[in-house]
Amino acid sequence: MKRIAGESARTTLTDNATGWLMVLPALAGLVVFVAVPFVLALGMSLTHLRMGSPLGAQFVGFEQYLRLLHDTSFQRALINNALFALGVVPVQTLLALGLALALNRPLRGVAVFRTLFFMPVVFPMSLVAVVWILIYAPGPNGLLNSVLDTLTLHHWQPRDFLHDPRLALPAIMLTSIWQGAGFQMVILLAGLQGIPRERYEAAAVDGAGRWQRFLHVTLPGLRNPLIFVVIVTSILSFRVFDQVRIMTQGGPLDATTTVVYQAVQSAFDRAQAGRGAAMAVVFFVIVLAITLIQRRLLRSEREVR
Amino acid sequence: MRRKSPVSLSRRALLTGLAALPLATMFGGCRGSTSGRSARRPTLEVWAHAGQVGERSTLVRLADSFNSGRRSFAVRLTLLPEGAYNGQLQAAALAGRLPDVFEFDGPYTADYAWMGQLQALDELLPEELREDLLPSILAQGTYDNRLYAVGQYDSGLGLFARRDRLAAVGASVPTAPADAWTVAQFEDLLARVAAASAGKPPLDLKLNYRGEWFTYGFAPALWSAGGGLVSRDTRPLHAAGVLDGSKSISAMRHLQRWIASGRVDPNLDDAAFTAGRVAMSWVGHWEYPRYRQAVGKDLALLPLPDFGTGTRTGAGSWTWGIRAGCRHPEAAAEFLRHLLQTANVLAMSAANGAPPATRSAVARSPLYAPDGPLRLYIEQLARGYALPRPRTPAYPAVTSAFQQTFHAVRDGADVPETLQRAAALIDRDIADNRGYPHREAVRA
Repeated sequence: MKRIAGESARTTLTDNATGWLMVLPALAGLVVFVAVPFVLALGMSLTHLRMGSPLGAQFVGFEQYLRLLHDTSFQRALINNALFALGVVPVQTLLALGLALALNRPLRGVAVFRTLFFMPVVFPMSLVAVVWILIYAPGPNGLLNSVLDTLTLHHWQPRDFLHDPRLALPAIMLTSIWQGAGFQMVILLAGLQGIPRERYEAAAVDGAGRWQRFLHVTLPGLRNPLIFVVIVTSILSFRVFDQVRIMTQGGPLDATTTVVYQAVQSAFDRAQAGRGAAMAVVFFVIVLAITLIQRRLLRSEREVR
Repeated sequence: MRRKSPVSLSRRALLTGLAALPLATMFGGCRGSTSGRSARRPTLEVWAHAGQVGERSTLVRLADSFNSGRRSFAVRLTLLPEGAYNGQLQAAALAGRLPDVFEFDGPYTADYAWMGQLQALDELLPEELREDLLPSILAQGTYDNRLYAVGQYDSGLGLFARRDRLAAVGASVPTAPADAWTVAQFEDLLARVAAASAGKPPLDLKLNYRGEWFTYGFAPALWSAGGGLVSRDTRPLHAAGVLDGSKSISAMRHLQRWIASGRVDPNLDDAAFTAGRVAMSWVGHWEYPRYRQAVGKDLALLPLPDFGTGTRTGAGSWTWGIRAGCRHPEAAAEFLRHLLQTANVLAMSAANGAPPATRSAVARSPLYAPDGPLRLYIEQLARGYALPRPRTPAYPAVTSAFQQTFHAVRDGADVPETLQRAAALIDRDIADNRGYPHREAVRA
């Protein structure tokens, strides 16, 4: 008895040590690339630090945060981020779900379609953005303009989508949805294929129609992948930057500026590291809050099971 | 069968996606070739931006010819992609890892000098070489009365025009900077050309370009009106009253009016001029080869319109400096002298079409000699029509604020209000950095 207990204790100990050893690389990465930079950013955000300045960092307390509070462009960036997330997350998730459902059938050449819909995800955002600039070209010869002209039987007034304060953000959202939906589609597709066929058969035996089967078999079966998709899409949509930088540079009139765009502009275009750091901290807090809320959702899901 | 595949499908797709994304970012820096002998001699590290093919190969050739000379030093040239070049330099500067000799964009001279990253070249370059440089090159490389940077070439800004389109509406074509159209004449001409082509936009402002173009291309309009970006050569440096002064406002209003009234082609395909959609293109020297090929002898080069105090134009381009801590400044300066030899300046100018930086090279340049087709640029650069962009360490803040302003004005924002906001942004940056005091004052 004694001997066995001692052995198991030792095993636990070595297990623990092995566990820590295995966690170490990931932990080191987190510390070096997340924790340390964040603490540094926190420190920098309390100064007027300019990159490479011989003046050094001058402590100014919460001055940078106070300025952000009164900065109309930054307020606009926060609003735009919220609008972007509110628009993109549901639409992109629904679209991905639709695509996944459509491509989950034993169709001939389904792999080709899956590849086609996934392809935008593989393209770098910078490439996608440049292509979409051409799609949104102003004037009657612009691609989207001429398509809309044909569809509306020539009642369409050509628009300059990316320079119209009301259309620019939706235009960027559309590009992002097109680019990102394939990723979610693949995850949902995997989720769909993980739902046991017997459940559908049982539901059919019980007399459930297609809609009822979708509602009571498919959706509950997809709960976990859906939550994952929503979390990832929200985080990604708060990080929106490339499209903005390439397609509109935050314009027209701040209609598409975002928090990350503003932070990059401050820190790298203007060398204002302090201001950029303050924006990064604000951004971090927001994303952290969203992640925490969504983690709670995940946890309740585990309790249900 | 189907039940097993989802994991592998999703995982494979995920991995493909994740693996393919970074591939696109992996077009990293490539190293220019250097002669094999360089290994035995002490070597200077040299960084340059990877420009167009011709520019790149010429630079590699010049480094090779430097290394094949009987010198006690060799250079090792590293070419870095242009898009991220400035960022890489800034990062290297912060890390104290700048190379001995490096190329950078001219308007950042003051920035690097103020940060203490550059060595003054006054003692390192012979006087006759400095006197041979175009005044615009000296102006660009000077900060606090010291020369910190020299370029192999400058740049030229003006209007390219199709002669036949101008002749069709009976317009006279100015050829010298002193004869530039007034802005009223120019606007009248725009209206006439537009009327002659069913109201199509007659002007290209390269609205498809990005970033620095807008400061380079349109600060001259403000200067010509008598305004500007920040106070020139007066301390303390400030933007209020200059960038948002009545003269700058009037210049920006002209630009806004052209765009709002449909006089400017959005030029998304960068073919507005070559395809013949517009009669005039407001652009730099770099378009000459393409335009000349498209238009032939009908191509004319004109000074920008006069907004009130005579035409003004932009200047400046890539330039070279020596790192402050470089242990062999004489050797580094020898490399710069090598780059500035007449034959080498001409070789670079032939490769990229830019105005040569030295008078002796200009005299022998087929494009820029007195009877050359691009002589106007030299007139502008040598006779004070060209101004350097503000030579201050606040430049990153200045250019970023002005670019944003230009975009806002393009999109119809209220001009005085937008300029006021930009001026306030710049002045706050200056205040945050205590007016960017001289380095000596910082140390004291």
